[in-house]
Amino acid sequence: MNNTKLKVVHYLNQFFGQIGGEDKANTGFVVKEGPLGPGTALQKELGEHVEIVATLICGDNYFSKDPDQAGEEGAKLIESFAPDLFFAGPAFEAGRYGVACGAICKAVNERLGIPVVTGMYQENPGVEMYRKYAYICRSGQSTRDMVPSLKKMSKLALQLVLGEPSKNLLSGENLPKPEMFDYFKRLIIRNEFCDQSAAKRSIDKLLAKITGKPFESEVVPPVFDNVEPPAPIADLSKLQLALVSDGALVPKGNPAGLAGRGNLKWTTNELDSFLPDDPGTKEYEIAHTGYFPVNVLENPFRLIPVDVIRQLVKEKKIGKLHNTFFSTSGNATVSRRCTEMGNEMGEEIKRLGIDAVLLTST
Amino acid sequence: MRLEIESIDIKSVREGGRTGVKDGVLTVNFTELETLLTEDSRIASVKIDLVHPGERTRVVNLMDVVQPRCKIGQLEADFPGFVGKLQIAGKGRTLSLRGVTVLATNPGTTRKYSALLDMYGPGGQMSRYSKFSHVCVNSYSAEDIDEREFENAAKIAGLKAAAYIARSAEGHQIDETEVFDLDITNLDGKSDLPKVAYYYQLYSPQHDHQGISDDCFYGTDVRPLMPTIIHPNEVLDGGVVGAHTVRSIDTYTIQNHGVIRELYRRHGKDLIFSGVVCGVAKMEPITRTRKNIMAANLVKNVLGADGVVLTKIHGGMPHVDLAGVAEECEKLGVKTAVYIQPLISDGRLPEMLLFSAEALDLIITVGATLERSILPAPDRIVGGDKKTKVYCPDPIMQYAGDTTIDVEQFLIAGIHDHTGGAKVVVKEY
Repeated sequence: MNNTKLKVVHYLNQFFGQIGGEDKANTGFVVKEGPLGPGTALQKELGEHVEIVATLICGDNYFSKDPDQAGEEGAKLIESFAPDLFFAGPAFEAGRYGVACGAICKAVNERLGIPVVTGMYQENPGVEMYRKYAYICRSGQSTRDMVPSLKKMSKLALQLVLGEPSKNLLSGENLPKPEMFDYFKRLIIRNEFCDQSAAKRSIDKLLAKITGKPFESEVVPPVFDNVEPPAPIADLSKLQLALVSDGALVPKGNPAGLAGRGNLKWTTNELDSFLPDDPGTKEYEIAHTGYFPVNVLENPFRLIPVDVIRQLVKEKKIGKLHNTFFSTSGNATVSRRCTEMGNEMGEEIKRLGIDAVLLTST
Repeated sequence: MRLEIESIDIKSVREGGRTGVKDGVLTVNFTELETLLTEDSRIASVKIDLVHPGERTRVVNLMDVVQPRCKIGQLEADFPGFVGKLQIAGKGRTLSLRGVTVLATNPGTTRKYSALLDMYGPGGQMSRYSKFSHVCVNSYSAEDIDEREFENAAKIAGLKAAAYIARSAEGHQIDETEVFDLDITNLDGKSDLPKVAYYYQLYSPQHDHQGISDDCFYGTDVRPLMPTIIHPNEVLDGGVVGAHTVRSIDTYTIQNHGVIRELYRRHGKDLIFSGVVCGVAKMEPITRTRKNIMAANLVKNVLGADGVVLTKIHGGMPHVDLAGVAEECEKLGVKTAVYIQPLISDGRLPEMLLFSAEALDLIITVGATLERSILPAPDRIVGGDKKTKVYCPDPIMQYAGDTTIDVEQFLIAGIHDHTGGAKVVVKEY
């Protein structure tokens, strides 16, 4: 290693940043040079090749008013230090502080592209909110666990900036093992090379299962929510209906960029212009790569029955067809994101005053 | 049924005047091989390329990877139904070359997905085939031949070349002989060992290019196939070949079938290998149910298995379909191990399951085949050129000669193996 030390910035709240207690929780951002409070212990763990050049401090209330915006503000303030690594907390069980640590880590990582490490207790709401965006080491509930938490954070951070990439990962990334470094998994799935073929593993485990011995499934089946279908609508003639489909019918050129598989986006289009009564102009395409699109390309009303609904509106059997068509590409999308998209669409559907939706799939 | 596979280790491959193997070096007479393959009137011309380990070469428009093999002492018995005459595969002697494959490409393809093979860089590091030498058979269509018809010809050209090359090695010293001998009709009923069967999801029609079947079983379309019992040797010895431009199962993979080889290895030691039921993923609910109950019945009441390993074809629909068979097996008291392939790299593993069945409590991750890899540009491209399109699920266009390409691993031959042969597991990070 050359003599240039790696530069670190550390985030703390008003309490750990030695500004004050709850009465100072409205304090805005302050930058101080060098380590402070827990930073002093962190500096010890990091060793002589790494230097905490600055501490960023903010009051918990100030931060929690708008965590996204506060994160941006804080990230801008430390840009000039050109840090190689960023720490926040640990926040232990403190909810506002945990959210602040997560949000600042997310903003710094997105803005500066450097590794970001924090620590929280498992029930801190910041864990679920920010586990995707930051390495969150598992910490205890309170400051009593300060030194062990800082040790974990430091060990993980040093691996991220100086460690060798894992030889097992097919991707060749430097992605430390969550179990080894005791951080909350970041919702990433990766292929690993291992010692045993799938064939050997499956037969070993199957023999254990047959003979009543303990065995470990490589996937623990989830418990899915049971969604009760709502009661039928008695009178359709007064309501406004919208169409939703996961068949990925989109305008030509796929402007929203729905992915053919593993898609995470949804989009809306105005039916009037997108699908007039005779969509013979073929100004549409199918972004989905999981079904034969031939029949839908011939006639998109086979996927979303616009023609039939328009007729039923004319016959006054349905009140109105809302002009907004909700479209997504439902092919190997993770179920959690499907739920999120459903909620997002639901909010928009409510906002638009739509009474009912017809969902068609492929 | 007894099959002996006699293997010769090939050290390198070169072009030369007479096709044959001497001291582990394979020589190929290009003209002779091209002449053989263009006997098929659907093929206008064939170009042979050799690809060696350590080269910065990318093979594109790849349809299949085949281990050179031929039957010894049996006439027209190689890949029956495809190359040889119809007869049951899996008995007698087979000569097999190791460390070399035949790559069948279709440079004129209009498919969205074709496989590729990088001999270098991250793609090469992941693929077992980058360590091998390859005889690449690039076939070009005769005029007025339907595209799918030509694809069949190009695939068969790969199988023919594999048999031709293996045959040229007859008389060479054998490095290893493996015996696959399973007398299913006389299995030891008194054994205390658990009886384990294998359910082989042979095919799924959702990948059919232009909606036309890709024949993979004794030369025929298996889409209407009812679940049926086959001898495992039929699979190892050319009765089954690759389909759908690789997608984690090519002919080489089937010839070296992961689960079948492992069940053989352990037969009589800690289990009794009670046989293979094969079936096809079905698109329609009633047909699917019929297949599920018939397959489970064969596993339980004909093969008498205590447990069954179930493997799948690439994709989401086969995943759902396989779970249906497994559920029926569990209902009959047969313990199952179900293979899945996570279809996305974002989330938790349980979210990757496309079924919800309490009884299916042993799930094996055969590889997150849609994991993306960034591959740097090659120096040489075989089977196409730098303008050959390479598929990416994002709405972007990319070509084989680009500085980098973004590829899902199922399109890179030799990484994942849906028959269970690869030492790959999927983990949460």
